[in-house]
Amino acid sequence: MPKKILTCYSARELAGCSETFLDVEDSILYADLLEIIVKSYSLEDIKNNVILAVNEEYSNTSERILLKTGDEIAIIPPISGG
Amino acid sequence: MYDIRINNDLRMHSNMCIRHKFFLGRMAAEEQKIEKLQDEINQLREELQRKERELFDLKFKKYHDNKYCLGLTATDIMRYSRQMLLSQFSITGQIALKKSRVLIVGMGGLGCPCALYLAAAGIGELTIVDYDEVELTNLHRQVLHGENDIGIPKILSAYNRLKNLNSNIKIIPIHTHANSSTLTDLFKNKTFDVVVDGSDNVATRYLLNDICVLNNLPLVSGSALQMEGQLTVYNYNKGPCYRCLFPVPPPPDTVMNCGDGGVLGPVPGIIGTLQALEVIKTCTSCFTVPGIIGTLQALEVIKILTKQGGVLSSRLLTFDACEAVFRNVKLRTRNSRCAVCGDDPTITTLIDYEEFCGASAHDKVIDVDILRKDDHIPVKELSSKPETLLIDVRPTLEFAMCNLDNSYNFPYSYIKKGKDLDKLRKKLEDYSTNGNEVLIICRRGNDSQRAVLQLKEIFTDLPLKFLNVLGGLYAYSNAVDSSFPIY
Repeated sequence: MPKKILTCYSARELAGCSETFLDVEDSILYADLLEIIVKSYSLEDIKNNVILAVNEEYSNTSERILLKTGDEIAIIPPISGG
Repeated sequence: MYDIRINNDLRMHSNMCIRHKFFLGRMAAEEQKIEKLQDEINQLREELQRKERELFDLKFKKYHDNKYCLGLTATDIMRYSRQMLLSQFSITGQIALKKSRVLIVGMGGLGCPCALYLAAAGIGELTIVDYDEVELTNLHRQVLHGENDIGIPKILSAYNRLKNLNSNIKIIPIHTHANSSTLTDLFKNKTFDVVVDGSDNVATRYLLNDICVLNNLPLVSGSALQMEGQLTVYNYNKGPCYRCLFPVPPPPDTVMNCGDGGVLGPVPGIIGTLQALEVIKTCTSCFTVPGIIGTLQALEVIKILTKQGGVLSSRLLTFDACEAVFRNVKLRTRNSRCAVCGDDPTITTLIDYEEFCGASAHDKVIDVDILRKDDHIPVKELSSKPETLLIDVRPTLEFAMCNLDNSYNFPYSYIKKGKDLDKLRKKLEDYSTNGNEVLIICRRGNDSQRAVLQLKEIFTDLPLKFLNVLGGLYAYSNAVDSSFPIY
């Protein structure tokens, strides 16, 4: 079922979109979800440096994630400028 | 006295820097005139500042002693009344601020507004660290520096502005590059209550994280780039540290180089900056993001110091200026296996952060040198080759800002991604009937070298020689025509 994917500003250029929908399983391992997301949006370069937040909550990297239609997954890369 | 002495030392240092630069360049009469005026202005400014302080002291002398209130002077009460009227803040908050010592690393887009609000709020002691000098390109967001500060150390210009705003607090400017050795020395000699990260690079972010964990200090971390800002407080109240969230530094090439009821100072600051943002957004785009994040950092420092609660720990605030959306992302708990704040830490002393990140601890561009000697052409030879095809590989929007006559724009990012190469092929094929040299230029002469390497590979079948214009448009401005803008 489709889940809403949000890319934070700095990931937007790499991903080529700011908000989109992605069909992923309702129950999925963090590592698998990350893999699907980086492949879908060409984010391989920053794969090990992003935070995935489901409905504005940090997803633990060792956990199985439970999703439902309409859930929002934000891809947040660290930014270092100032 | 301590800070004033540093101030004078710095002024001498900055004048020496300016002199040195002038000797290196063309010591034209005009430049001598600039230097003479600069010296005169510096002297006049010092005299003006002395007289202004004398006047302020005379005017407010009668309020120095205060038998009606312990811990604060009458001037303090008047000056900070609008925040002391807040029940969460009160006189307890003001006295806590007066006793606190805050370190801000970086006097840029984040450090400036943060320092401004902290000085205004009456922090007891503010230590500011930066290695850099003020440039014209800083002024649109680094609000402590002015036109007359160009070329002088940022901490000196910040010191003058902050001292002018609040002469009753102690400001300690330190002109140094923050690294493991300089910060270890600083922490040996001084004590801090809170550290603010206003830096602009990953290496310094890991450094400040580790030193805060090792010294058990909260780190108010802010960052901003383009149209986005992030803010969180690390190592506070059992919350995670930077390494808990980002154990691995990003690959360097993915990092892109920000009355009556009372009111706490930073709050209107944020709203005012947001208003400015909305106004600017309607006409062009936004660069006030660091201002907003820096102001928010000041707010977090005050909350920690006055023990108000509601500190942005274990939460990450992201600000998207394009959409005008704030997101408050709940973060993980402390990682028990974190290399620095975990149960069995492997980092127990500071390390080499540039080595760890594989990147320099600043956001300046480092020149590359990846071509053979005969792949280059000096910028001065451009004028002798008016018929030669000149390809400018800067991004389209930079090309639109300023460009050389008869140059053809084909961004390096297109070459890298293989975008529109058929268009470029057609251009090159048409040209190859008349000429055989193709000149490649960019802003600083780095991307143009990368472009030459790739173009050689892509168009091996064409009888063309790709040459890099050494030093790019910066060199053109320096050596050929100084009216070409360096941006």
